[in-house]
Amino acid sequence: MANMKFYCDAERCIECNACVTACKNENDVPWGVNRRRVVTIKDGEPGERSLSVACMHCSDAPCAAVCPVNCFYTTEDGVVLHDKDTCIGCGYCSYACPFGAPQFPKVGAFASRGKMDKCTFCAGGPAEDGSAAEHTKYGSNRLSEGKLPLCAEMCSTKALLAGDADVVSDIYRKRVVNRGASVMEWGVNYERASLDANKKS
Amino acid sequence: MPSLVSNSMLQKMFIPLLLLAFLLPITASAATPSQDVALAPDVPSPGSELWRAVRRADTNQPPTGVTQIKGVERGILINSAGEDWRNFRMEMLVPTGGLGFGLVVAALVLFYLIRGRIRIDGGWSGKVVPRFSINHRVAHWSLAILFLYLGLTGLIMLFGRFALLPVMGPEAFSVLATISLVSHNWLGPLFPFALIGVVALFMKGNGYTFKDIGWFLKGGGMFGGHAPPSDFYNAGEKTWFWLAIFGGIVITISGYILDFPIFGQTREVMEVAHIAHAVSAVGLLIASFGHIYIGTAGMEGSIQSMTKGYVDENWAKEHHSIWYDEMKASGKVYSDVESLKKSN
Repeated sequence: MANMKFYCDAERCIECNACVTACKNENDVPWGVNRRRVVTIKDGEPGERSLSVACMHCSDAPCAAVCPVNCFYTTEDGVVLHDKDTCIGCGYCSYACPFGAPQFPKVGAFASRGKMDKCTFCAGGPAEDGSAAEHTKYGSNRLSEGKLPLCAEMCSTKALLAGDADVVSDIYRKRVVNRGASVMEWGVNYERASLDANKKS
Repeated sequence: MPSLVSNSMLQKMFIPLLLLAFLLPITASAATPSQDVALAPDVPSPGSELWRAVRRADTNQPPTGVTQIKGVERGILINSAGEDWRNFRMEMLVPTGGLGFGLVVAALVLFYLIRGRIRIDGGWSGKVVPRFSINHRVAHWSLAILFLYLGLTGLIMLFGRFALLPVMGPEAFSVLATISLVSHNWLGPLFPFALIGVVALFMKGNGYTFKDIGWFLKGGGMFGGHAPPSDFYNAGEKTWFWLAIFGGIVITISGYILDFPIFGQTREVMEVAHIAHAVSAVGLLIASFGHIYIGTAGMEGSIQSMTKGYVDENWAKEHHSIWYDEMKASGKVYSDVESLKKSN
């Protein structure tokens, strides 16, 4: 079976946030939750890079490991999904996730939590494929229709790639080869290319 | 004289020619940069150093990025502390906590089988000594019931996935876990109020003195022999009091941080609070097994001090003789329960 992954090409991302908007619209994401976000490193400085990040669908998902009610499961395609009916809204998954993927709509007492919501790779949830119940709870199920996540489809520069890991890495490999990725060729050493290189001390 | 270039042609070409005149020098300098203008340093592909920093491999804090999404920590790309917390909870807290509970239960069962119930040597005399007022008892049981309920629901959330989920199935366990979480979060904020009540009423007499060293050296008389005479509280009781107070304070503060995640707490703050809360709670629960045991099955004549408020004269003589002598001297030893009730 396929092993579904995301890859965001930092050299191509132009911070347009089309992926953010597409996801929010397609999946009727709860108020206050943004399944996908674009983070810009070194904003305004030379070497600025942007990355679009949602759920990375980890093979050894930390969210699944710490859940007290074990509501996560990994599909045959490697997509990490969860069951909102079982979820108790404790928040442990959001502590463990390195990428900040699990989010809460703050509909609990004292505006705290509610059922966890996160990127589903447009693969819905445990409810029946394509049903109204599935769409209300989890968003659209594009994977069952043979489509890829809408964020990647909508990406203006094809920075965000989604699909089988082998296919995605093949596409990226071709890009890297074409770009001539060699620091020596560009004549710039590693220290100058570091995160703090442009900061005035 | 006829010219090769007509007037109208010149007019049409004037502006383009003017633009060309300005553009030519600019394009020329762009094509061959002068040695004086330094190229701005960029991050060439693949940018290994940049992404190593983003992954927080070399620094203590992840670099904060900029994002259009509003919210706590939305600009942080990678939260590395989450993996440390996950490993602590799953590899340390859950197994060690489970082992701790197993060990304390085994130790108490073993103690009961070997030592048996600690009896009143002189038997029940029928004479009674008042020990805990109604206020003391209400404060103690409020805290005890709250503590046990919060502890039980907390344990369901910590161990339930391993101990109860395989037995109950996901739907039923989710209902139990939801009830546990919701009641734990609503009753939790009441805990410090019960704790303050107990601290206020039970503080007197719980200060350690040098005599307590002697009690510890004799093992409290629990392993044979007799401990030196004790006052109102023996050294073991004092230890439980201070453990409960300090543990309770840590649990309260960390609990309030966890229960109201709406004040911009970062994930790291919540993880540290969770660890403090869980470690103190598990530690206190394990210690409470000893307290509960000794007050119920472990010793004859103890439980009624906290249920009825008075104890038998012989029990007082054998376990708290200094206090007993004071009570006898002030005429507070009664011949039976009726005369105790009449005197109040």
